Amino acid sequence: MKALATPAMTQPLDGMEAVTQAIQAARSGDLAAFEILMRRHERLVLATALRLLGKMEDAQDASQEVFLRLYRNLGKVQDSGNLAGWLYRVTVNVCRDLCGRRPAETSVEAVEELASPGADPQQAATRHERQRALELSLRQLSAKQRTALVLRDLEGLSTADVAEILGTSQATVRAQVFQARIKIKCFVERYFRRGV
Amino acid sequence: MNCGDWEERIALYAGGDLGAPDSSAVERHLAGCGECRGFAQGISDSLALLRAAHEEPIAAGHYAAVRAAVLDRLARGPSPWPRWLWAPALAAGLAVAGFFLTVRPVQKPRVYVAAVRPPVELPAVPVRPAKAVPQPAPVRRPRPQRTVAPKPPTPVEPLVVKLITNDPDVVIYWIAD
Repeated sequence: MKALATPAMTQPLDGMEAVTQAIQAARSGDLAAFEILMRRHERLVLATALRLLGKMEDAQDASQEVFLRLYRNLGKVQDSGNLAGWLYRVTVNVCRDLCGRRPAETSVEAVEELASPGADPQQAATRHERQRALELSLRQLSAKQRTALVLRDLEGLSTADVAEILGTSQATVRAQVFQARIKIKCFVERYFRRGV
Repeated sequence: MNCGDWEERIALYAGGDLGAPDSSAVERHLAGCGECRGFAQGISDSLALLRAAHEEPIAAGHYAAVRAAVLDRLARGPSPWPRWLWAPALAAGLAVAGFFLTVRPVQKPRVYVAAVRPPVELPAVPVRPAKAVPQPAPVRRPRPQRTVAPKPPTPVEPLVVKLITNDPDVVIYWIAD
């Protein structure tokens, strides 16, 4: 897989070199270097897992598993030269496994897991509504549509990269994404018109 | 014109997934169709809302909890057994235990084979008729005390050799102690 170039993943050259050095050090057992790797990519893994699973507790379990797999496969990752792409693929796979093992939740609790930088109640209410709309919208989608939409529209990967991560064709990804967008639009309009 | 045919292209256009020729065609259609403009606007707005919600920062404590759990697992060191090996190892152990509990080996009687020498043919020895000796009535003797005494030497039978000569009337017996 070629290195992904997305807004979330584009890093300056010295950043890439730092990642390479951290991987090298972590391979020799340096846990501090591995912690640096985790800090650099924890948002990618945890946020993606949270959108795919809808529950922070499950997302944290998935993130732990992803990073443990990363530690066991540092050699492969270093050879591939595309840590972000590898992490996305493993995150999707781990979340798929977790979804198969655990029953779907009906409560919306991801909203409560966000940082609360401001104390403005109006702002907090707006954020709360947005989060609830996001969570409920994603539940309208099938697992494949949800994964494609999260990677393409929320994480901002290209259609080609999403296809490569999911091991499918670009035409399939486009079909899943357009169906997901139409469902999301209908749900969001209904949600704010009626106050679901 | 049937606007339902444009739904897919408009949805892809709103997310920037169409190439230049298709984008131009969609833009021309949108310029002349208010309903489709509203549809495209709705998709763009809902995507913008979702992106804004997704970009909200997650509380730092959640990241810290993940990092701490991972580092703790790594600091404890790797398991000596690969995780996938536990299930087959357990199954094999149970199978072996079940085998020994259900199928007990039957203990066969041992057969001892003694070495038997071929019988040696000895010359026939005439047996003298024993004289009838009056036996005294058995007297019940007091039971001897249980003391370990050396066994007396067993009496050795004299060796009798019968020599047969050419003369059938002459037979020589040789008796040796």
